[in-house]
Amino acid sequence: MTTINRQATPQDPQGPQGLHDDLHEIWGNPRGLKALTIVNHTTLGLRFMVTGMVFFLIGGILAMLVRTQLAMPDQDFMSPEIYNQVFTMHGTVMMFLFAIPMLEGLAIYMIPKMIGTRDLVCPRLTSLGYFCYLFGGIILTSSLILEMAPASGWFMYTPLSSSEYAPDLGSDFWLLGITFVEISALSAGVELVVSILRTRTQGMALHKMPLFAWYILAMALMIVVGFPPLILGSVLLELERAVGMPFFEVAGGGDPVLWQHLFWLFGHPEVYIIFLPAAGIVSTLIPVFAGRPIVGYGWVVFAIITTGFISFGLWVHHMFTVGIPQLAQAFFSAASMLVAVPTAIQVFVWLATLWLGKPKMKLPMLWIVGFLVIFVCGGLTGVMLALVPFNWQVHDTHFVVAHMHYVLVGGMFFPLMAGLYYWLPLFSGRMPSETIGKWGFWLTFIGFNATFLIMHWTGLLGMPRRVYTYDTGMGWDIYNLLSSVGGFIMSAGIAMVLIDIALHFRYGKPAKHNPWNADTLEWANSMPPSAYNYVSLPTIETRHPLWDNPDLPRTMAEGQHGLAVATHGRRELWGTDPLTGKLRETIHLPGNSWWPLFASLALAVVCISLLVRWYPLAGIAVIVAGVFLLRWSWENGAHPKAAPDAKVMPGDPPLHSRTMDGPGLWTMSVFLIANGSFFLSYLFGWFYLWTVSPEWSMPETSPLSLVVLVGAGIATIAGMGVMEKLVSGLRQQRDAGLAVGLYIASGLGALQVLLIGWVLYSANLAVTETAHDAVILVGLIYALFHGGLAAVLSLLQGLRVGYGYVGAHAPFEPAVVAQLWRFNVVTFWVLIGALAVLPRVIGG
Amino acid sequence: MLSLMERLRLTHPIHFVIGLTLWSIWFVVVYGGQAVACEVAPPMPEQGVFNLLNGWLLIVSILAMAVLVALTWGCCQIANRHQGRLRFNAAVSAGLYLFSALSVVFVALPIVGVPPCL
Repeated sequence: MTTINRQATPQDPQGPQGLHDDLHEIWGNPRGLKALTIVNHTTLGLRFMVTGMVFFLIGGILAMLVRTQLAMPDQDFMSPEIYNQVFTMHGTVMMFLFAIPMLEGLAIYMIPKMIGTRDLVCPRLTSLGYFCYLFGGIILTSSLILEMAPASGWFMYTPLSSSEYAPDLGSDFWLLGITFVEISALSAGVELVVSILRTRTQGMALHKMPLFAWYILAMALMIVVGFPPLILGSVLLELERAVGMPFFEVAGGGDPVLWQHLFWLFGHPEVYIIFLPAAGIVSTLIPVFAGRPIVGYGWVVFAIITTGFISFGLWVHHMFTVGIPQLAQAFFSAASMLVAVPTAIQVFVWLATLWLGKPKMKLPMLWIVGFLVIFVCGGLTGVMLALVPFNWQVHDTHFVVAHMHYVLVGGMFFPLMAGLYYWLPLFSGRMPSETIGKWGFWLTFIGFNATFLIMHWTGLLGMPRRVYTYDTGMGWDIYNLLSSVGGFIMSAGIAMVLIDIALHFRYGKPAKHNPWNADTLEWANSMPPSAYNYVSLPTIETRHPLWDNPDLPRTMAEGQHGLAVATHGRRELWGTDPLTGKLRETIHLPGNSWWPLFASLALAVVCISLLVRWYPLAGIAVIVAGVFLLRWSWENGAHPKAAPDAKVMPGDPPLHSRTMDGPGLWTMSVFLIANGSFFLSYLFGWFYLWTVSPEWSMPETSPLSLVVLVGAGIATIAGMGVMEKLVSGLRQQRDAGLAVGLYIASGLGALQVLLIGWVLYSANLAVTETAHDAVILVGLIYALFHGGLAAVLSLLQGLRVGYGYVGAHAPFEPAVVAQLWRFNVVTFWVLIGALAVLPRVIGG
Repeated sequence: MLSLMERLRLTHPIHFVIGLTLWSIWFVVVYGGQAVACEVAPPMPEQGVFNLLNGWLLIVSILAMAVLVALTWGCCQIANRHQGRLRFNAAVSAGLYLFSALSVVFVALPIVGVPPCL
């Protein structure tokens, strides 16, 4: 293993402190208004978590309103209309604005520290993600104040959410707001994947990675694959509501069940997207408090991967009552039972670790024990619900509500609290109060079970979910009252926890370094951490760095390890091999910037103008957002604000922008996986409607000109060919004709756009009359957008060659754009096959 | 067989995802195939489980299971020959292939007992 830069900068007269000051100069956060430009993962992770807690409080208040309404029979505390808005927003806020962003925030904060690096690999993307989350959340929750909140349940089934039954703006708030928030989730998903794979400190091979990083890797990949189906569904439903394209209307050839498929293709993995990071917290904490390594590291990795995959094969178990063949139900029933296997493996691993260790029942462990009890119960009712006959009996009753809360609160909230208490000393440098914390735990635990254990019985007695009141003769009175009392006890517990956390910042005892005697690298940080995390980046070849080398925090702080240099003025971290952890590049990161804020503000304008149907303004804002994003991308590579010279310390690996394999390539790849998932969801929708929709009508002759489409496809292939040739030349340090080649590729992209535009124009599609034409329009717009994007990016690359930012000396960026070209070729030709060739071959 | 397994580089972590990807493809093929066949050309209800569609679903399932079992065996062999990172990768892959194979068996079991389109 190469070891480099073993000392701090020699010209530093103050030793390590001087180096700290220099790094602070480069990485430090500005104050005042400029704090909005911060891209640092520590600050943004905290912002995500604080914002998530605010939304949690809003969601919690909504829950208490629901419980107040249901406490007694025949209550009129709320009108049915308001009740519908309240329960819909409770679910929506908790799932989309609390659970996922909160866990992403924790991952954003924790992952770089755990894997021994200084920041996430796309810091400006973190910032964009945060602002999209914030603005999307504000837009969505503002609907409550306006009394225009969505009211069709958090999964927005059509036709209840369609314009016929929900003519006001509630559904639009949901569709646009959630899609906006999903930009944030996808941004975090993409960069967490790349950061974990490519920026672990040297020596940290895949099998030495902290288990938390494994969990977050799986979660992030699941977000990348799982969110696009819902984004597609939301786009289609919003188009139906705004323009009248009948994707989900039977009369127009659509099918409301398509929405259910698209929603649950996202919705079921979502449960595991929430559970996996929480289980990661459990797998991190239990070995620490048991005082021994986890039993069966490999088994846990096995369980994580299995859960990630199997969870995508269960979505139809939410739809057992819609009328699908028994054999299909049996497939999904079996798959639903299978997912209990990896979950059980993890539970046994945790129990075995506790059994073989010497557990200390500190405050975080209380929450872990609470998790084990509640989550196992939730898992068992999950297996019950996987059984089709039982599912039919309790479908849409409070039993399902109780099960869901056992799984989500038990499987996410309890571990989250454990994690927050565990890492609190790292956040603040202070310890929480054990006394208030224990009161908080027990009140929450007792209150939770009083609410939801009883709710199982209410459901078994037949009480449907979402009813705003019930008759006293139904026999549900006492159970509802007890559930409501339990809900308020739980609220009191959560209030105590929040008070404890708030008070500890001022009154908490100062924490000693690594107060829990943890094994993972984040505790090598200062408490609270600096903006750059570590002065020097160590070589780590063990799963328990701080147990095996307790002196590591000191030597890291003294700059005795790698990359302990600040003279170049760049934000730098190691780029390592994803499998072995061997050093590959020095990654330089962009600094603080206004562009993410500006871009997200422009996107917020798009969202609001679509909401109020000001389409011209929406169009302008889209262009403005695009300009901001492209301007942001301009400050890259050899740009003066990025890395104008390629100098590195002797023995250091080269800057990533001077290689052909930097993190941008990986980021584009992961983004294209998400894009591919969107595209496959679209194809699923096309074939689903074609096969299943009762009123689907395929015209006798296709409205699409096959010749022109093939011409557009050839232009795409030619564009890709040009790009491949240029990239191949750059690999051999040849950049003659690079700019001209990029302009040619751009021209071919523009030609593709023109030809698709011509096909669209000449097709004369009746998009508001038939789902067939509407689906074709969406597909062609998808191709149009991608062709245009490839053309614009190639054009910009050509310009960058002219400025000297790209060339044989900085060959990286065209390789990134070439990936998009490859993707475009594949998707466009598949689209031609699906939309223009197959209907001609097999007809309607 | 062993040389084929060696060419597959079973110590690479890509095999962590191949088994379950194959399982996912099999699942989509079986569920999608059954759904499309039931829409386009459903077998007669009086045929019960003994019909062409269930036969095809069963053959596809057996093939998928056979491939996954072979890969499990290959990973076990390779894991025994290595230490450290490579052994870890092959052993975890073996477990994942085995789980994928068993998952095919478990999910496919209803094919032999339930008519496809009722």
